[in-house]
Amino acid sequence: MDEHELIARVRAGEPAAERALYDAHVDRVYRLAYRLAGDDELARDFTQETFIRAFARLDTFRGDARFSTWLHAITTSVSLNGLRKTKRFRSQAPLEAADSVASTTRSAEPDLKVRLHAAIDALPDRYRTVVVMHDVEGYTHEEIAETLGMEVGTSKAQLSRARAKLRESLADFAGEWAS
Amino acid sequence: MTDDRFEERMREAARDYHRPPATPREEMWTAIEAGRRRRAAPRIFVLRPAWRWGLSMAAVLLVGVAIGLRLRPETPSGVSASRRETRSDLAYGVAAVQYLNRTETLLTGFRADARAGRVDTLFIDQARELLTSTRLLMQCPAGQDPHLRPLLEDLELVLAQIALLPGGRRDTLDVDLITQGMDQQSVLTRLRTAIPAGPASAPRTQGAL
Repeated sequence: MDEHELIARVRAGEPAAERALYDAHVDRVYRLAYRLAGDDELARDFTQETFIRAFARLDTFRGDARFSTWLHAITTSVSLNGLRKTKRFRSQAPLEAADSVASTTRSAEPDLKVRLHAAIDALPDRYRTVVVMHDVEGYTHEEIAETLGMEVGTSKAQLSRARAKLRESLADFAGEWAS
Repeated sequence: MTDDRFEERMREAARDYHRPPATPREEMWTAIEAGRRRRAAPRIFVLRPAWRWGLSMAAVLLVGVAIGLRLRPETPSGVSASRRETRSDLAYGVAAVQYLNRTETLLTGFRADARAGRVDTLFIDQARELLTSTRLLMQCPAGQDPHLRPLLEDLELVLAQIALLPGGRRDTLDVDLITQGMDQQSVLTRLRTAIPAGPASAPRTQGAL
């Protein structure tokens, strides 16, 4: 059964079709939510909210874009809004402080991955989302642009700026990385 | 190190960024079904005594805001415009003070309960109701007051978090997060400062906004 047919059956109120549509997409939705949230409980909440909204608004899906793109747009919107609310209540270090954490001496933090992950965490949301989608989850710039409602060029530019920022944060590891 | 080399190593290391565990497919599907049923079901309210009090206060708030909006002058001029403005300010002030009093009562009770390791479901219900009032107040001129606005924004967040607490099992971490946030933002202190002194039965509006 192709996806258009499946969606038509969901619109007709078939519970089995709802489950089939969920099964077809839940892995990528959960992965994306988890990559953005870094927390299982939050990722579950965001995934659940994504599907609840998607089923409630399925009538507004016109089929211009792929269903997965439409669904991932809901996922990023739900996740980023949810994270904004959560972050306001967490004692977060400001970006400058995170930068300084990311550029402490090698002996203080020997793990490059940990340093890179901290540097990604410290990126502003819009840059972090593009890095996560492109470099971590393997979305194309076209998919990112459609999902986030931006131009392809903007997606490329944001990734480039984000990488420059990461490179700057990890400058003291240049030798290590080259070896 | 070349740019290409750097980016290749970076992409390799980035793949482990927030590496997700296996998808909890069945658990999430159960929660989604429950969430959809909950949202689709018509909401039936049983008026408990405490709710009656709460609803009457909310009604006063709504009436206050409505009066305020109605009396708001479009082009203030002369003495009559000034009178309308005064009456409008008074209506907003009364509504705001009653709202602030209720919210302060709720948050004080919530924090005390949280410290004792329990949270009454009543607080969650009241938080939902007050959240609506908060948003309503943010839409009217009183909500644009530069002193009140940041407080309302913080209250909206706190009330939304309480309102979203699950009805049955409550995660201590969630409750702790809310109370920590309240303390960090000095929400209760700011709330109490915004409420004018005096007997609750005769709220004075001066200085509230």
